[in-house]
Amino acid sequence: MDLFDRLKEIKEKGIKNIQDADNQKALEEIRVKLLGRKGELTEILHSMKDVAPENRPKVGQEVNQIRDLFQTSLDDAKEKFVQAVIAKRLEEEKIDVTLPGRKTRLGSKHPINIILDDLESYFIGMGYQVVQGPEMETDHYVFEMMNLPKDHPARDMQATFYINDERLLRSQTSGDQARVLEKHDFSKGPLKMVGPGKVYRRDDDDATHSHQFQQMEGLVIDKNITMSDLKGTLEMIAKHMFGQDRETRLRPSYFPFTEPSVEMDVSCFNCDGKGCPICKYTGWIEVLGAGMVHPNVLENAGVDSSVYGGFAFGVGLDRLAILKYGINDIRDFYTNDVRFLKQFRKEEK
Amino acid sequence: MLVSYNWLKDFLDLDIDPQELGEKITRTGVEIETVTHPAEGLKKLVVGHILECEDIEGTHLHKCLVDVGEDEPIQIVCGAPNVAAGENVIVALHGARIAGNEKIKKGKIRGIQSNGMICGLQEIGFSDSVVPKEFSDGIYVFPKDADVKPGEDVYEALGMNDYILDFDITPNRADTLSMEGAAYEVGAILDQNPKIENVVLKEDGDDWTDQLEVKVDQALAPRFYLRKVNNVKIGPSPLWMQRRLWNAGIRPINNVVDVTNYVMLLTGQPMHAYDAKTFANGKLEVRKAQKGEKLTLLNDKEVELDPNDIVITDGDKPVMMAGVMGGKNSEVEADTTDVILESAIFDPTLVRKAALRHANRTEASSRYEKGVNWDNTQKALDMAALLLRNDAEATIANGEIKATDTEKKPAVVKTTISYINKVLGTELTESEMKKIFDRLNFETAINGDELVVTVPNRRWDIEIPADLVEEVGRIYGYDNLKSTQPLLAETHGGYSEKENHIRRFKQIAEGQGLMEAISYSLTSPEKAVRYNLEPAAPIVEVEMPLNSSRSAMRENLITGLVDAASYNMARKEDQLALYEQGRTYDHANGEFNEHEHLAALMTGDVLDANWQHENEKIDFFYLKGLVEDMLTAVELDPEKVIYQPVDNVPGLHPTRSAAMYLDDQYIGLIGMVAHVVTMPDKAMRNHEIYVYELDLDALIPMLKDGMKAKPAPKFPAIERDLSLLLDKNITNQQVVDVIKSAGGKYLHQVNVIDVYEGSHIDAGKKSISYKLTFLNEKDTLTDEVINKAMTKINDDLKEKLNIIVR
Repeated sequence: MDLFDRLKEIKEKGIKNIQDADNQKALEEIRVKLLGRKGELTEILHSMKDVAPENRPKVGQEVNQIRDLFQTSLDDAKEKFVQAVIAKRLEEEKIDVTLPGRKTRLGSKHPINIILDDLESYFIGMGYQVVQGPEMETDHYVFEMMNLPKDHPARDMQATFYINDERLLRSQTSGDQARVLEKHDFSKGPLKMVGPGKVYRRDDDDATHSHQFQQMEGLVIDKNITMSDLKGTLEMIAKHMFGQDRETRLRPSYFPFTEPSVEMDVSCFNCDGKGCPICKYTGWIEVLGAGMVHPNVLENAGVDSSVYGGFAFGVGLDRLAILKYGINDIRDFYTNDVRFLKQFRKEEK
Repeated sequence: MLVSYNWLKDFLDLDIDPQELGEKITRTGVEIETVTHPAEGLKKLVVGHILECEDIEGTHLHKCLVDVGEDEPIQIVCGAPNVAAGENVIVALHGARIAGNEKIKKGKIRGIQSNGMICGLQEIGFSDSVVPKEFSDGIYVFPKDADVKPGEDVYEALGMNDYILDFDITPNRADTLSMEGAAYEVGAILDQNPKIENVVLKEDGDDWTDQLEVKVDQALAPRFYLRKVNNVKIGPSPLWMQRRLWNAGIRPINNVVDVTNYVMLLTGQPMHAYDAKTFANGKLEVRKAQKGEKLTLLNDKEVELDPNDIVITDGDKPVMMAGVMGGKNSEVEADTTDVILESAIFDPTLVRKAALRHANRTEASSRYEKGVNWDNTQKALDMAALLLRNDAEATIANGEIKATDTEKKPAVVKTTISYINKVLGTELTESEMKKIFDRLNFETAINGDELVVTVPNRRWDIEIPADLVEEVGRIYGYDNLKSTQPLLAETHGGYSEKENHIRRFKQIAEGQGLMEAISYSLTSPEKAVRYNLEPAAPIVEVEMPLNSSRSAMRENLITGLVDAASYNMARKEDQLALYEQGRTYDHANGEFNEHEHLAALMTGDVLDANWQHENEKIDFFYLKGLVEDMLTAVELDPEKVIYQPVDNVPGLHPTRSAAMYLDDQYIGLIGMVAHVVTMPDKAMRNHEIYVYELDLDALIPMLKDGMKAKPAPKFPAIERDLSLLLDKNITNQQVVDVIKSAGGKYLHQVNVIDVYEGSHIDAGKKSISYKLTFLNEKDTLTDEVINKAMTKINDDLKEKLNIIVR
């Protein structure tokens, strides 16, 4: 047999063997047989001295080509076995991804604090300091300083929990106003503050009354603050809270600590002012009280009312939350029923 | 105050839609809560004249033949006790609609044809509280003199073709508690001068002023005017007056009482009418009540008078609680012939307190307490006398008694035009401003920028320039103000440092999967200190609590969370992870102290029940881990916290609870809720509930400001295990303390990896295994260094705690 015919035969037989191998071990044996030191190709190379000198380069070239071919084929065949092993393992590892996950506990904020946080960050962005005051306040700060002397009829408007003759659970956060006014150094700039916190009133708890609730007070004092500034500020707050397309109206009202006093209504976001149970068919929803700070309040705190003036506003956070989330019983905020609370994980403002 | 649109027309030319008027008044002066039209929704209600009325045998019914203005009278069956021939009544015809949108149809009652219904006032929408007593249980019968014809609609005659504006007044606007006051307000809004009529009275009787000796304490009643009318004929008031009264929400009673109410509605001046017999002994006194005195009021309520109540007496016993309500013993009754009319001003605070004290606020007292118009004392008195002559055929005795007659000068307020403009942010001219005060009927004197305003006595709410700002602002219209932002020097918004720290603690808690709760600060005195270290600080209690379970201020937050747990578990929610951040309150050292705390409560499992059954029960150490993580997150070293077992916290499990101390300072409690709390509660029984409470006021000052980052260590840490056999009563803390003090500067961390007590070791012993981590951030650690440290640890454990390393 001619050497080239033999090489051809080795090539064809070798490829066939590789193709026929049915496992990785067999393939390895074939590799040794084809490419190993005792393989036929190696043998031919070793016996090159028997080949005619003019044929030697050609035989060498042919042998190398066959070796390369075997190597590639072996690699391909091996890869197939590796893939099969991986595929088998993956099949074994397969999970039903539609089975439920293990649920851990999700924390959440209380709805009133979602509203409060949102308002605070809004006011902080506008340069307001957030100020906290005592809840067990003195009659002096809650009432006297706020232009509500003893026997003032408006004191009946808010039944107060007294601890003793002088000390009470604050029925409004405005005591914080008085404290800040007393302390503020106007030579260092204007006063801009909001004061959120718990307040208490002697109301029996029912769907619309709570003996404890939360308010936020706002106060801006400087030399040239106008009621137009108050109007502009309140409109921005209303739009921030209830949407840019809300209309607002100011109504004259009465608070002993502001003069003039107003209340602000926004057009009902539920019916768009057409009238519905939420707005009691008036088209308007009362959202906050405000006014220009009464000169007596300034003077009581030692601020010269002929130089300084400004505005104050107050808003009930429970009421805002009730309006925003469509809640119809204020007690829901304080029973801490987790089925109620967990709805607020979204922290929708 | 319910204001009739039709009555307002006496004073003003009104052609504005009543709803629109309501909106205007709301935006300018007083909130109009509702505008109602009494005839709204009613249909086919006509005047009927009963021609014949016969009893239907064996029933309470009557068969009536009623002229309803048609060719033939119609037959109606009526069950009212007061139906009778000759009466003019309200008939709901076939197809009529009455109150509550109820439809009336022809039909048969007990087999007898009935072609409509004869109505009572309630049936056509009147409130019980205004229906005259004689008609309260039957049909309404028009008075004899009423100008009504069969077949006419009833609405006009009954005052139902009207619009009622409900003035929801604030306490400063008592001036609108009268028709005249309302007319001034509406006039100012509409730019009309209201027509307010004066009373010209001609007396037609003998002088009576020497019949009564009147003694009045001027401090109690600065004005006290009396008149006498004689020979009154008590009867119903004319229909026009009755409908004005009931449209204002006041029940017509008789012509004398009605006149006093009518005059009060018109002028705002409360009036009172006494039967003149009351003062038969010729004496009347206004004084404070004496202790022990009693009075039965017109509403049959017997009150024990307080020494601060003002009373009117007959020289001996009280006959009236001044400004509040008359006494039964001086009441005008059917047989009254002579009447003494009182028009007076009483001290507003004393009246308010008396009304509150006796829970007896009245139309009169609410006007007195807010301030009545002193300029109407005389007018009201004369008006009442005049009306009694017209309505009750009275003669007016000559003369009046003015026992006190204090003068009240109108307030004069000085300001400047520029001040008002400055506060409002407007640029109103002198004439524009004057025009506004003209509309309000306030006199003005303007001199350059200076503005002097004389405020009529009806307006109690105007004393200072700011009050004038409000008047100008609201009449100019808040809608017309510009919307601007304050132009200020820059201010820096933000939270206080403390608040920022508190917010960080809250964020961590929420990140740990806790749900925020808010509980009531008021609780029972027992719960207020149930989760406090004993002895707890003195509690704060409120006077007059709403109930005993809300009478004391909480000294811990856990109690609210346990209440919440009970509430939730009763609703089958027993997987709970709650926290609350809020204040606790106490009265330590005689001060009213408030502390910021954070508490958490967990019960159930760490995870929701799952198909892999991978779970972990919430226990003491799970919560302790949360606390440790929280402290780590705020850069406090949790390993420095000393856990001191406590068995004297009333609400905590005596062998599973600890007080926490950091740097010798008490920072809170952690533990299981005691069986004494959970056992009596059906829902909580058999559940382990764990809680902790941290005193943020103690922790926050320990927090360090600022931080510097360092690169991650370049050299690996090396771990060594240490298994110990030790006496059961030696605590982990004792062991760790020894290891740490002996471990040298490269000992980085000590972790407990196993604790065992049981059959494989001697009784009285336990085994604990630790993993010790050594780290040198600057160099490779050699075995030599570590071995040296381990040897020292072993030696010290043996020497100090007699522990054998296994």
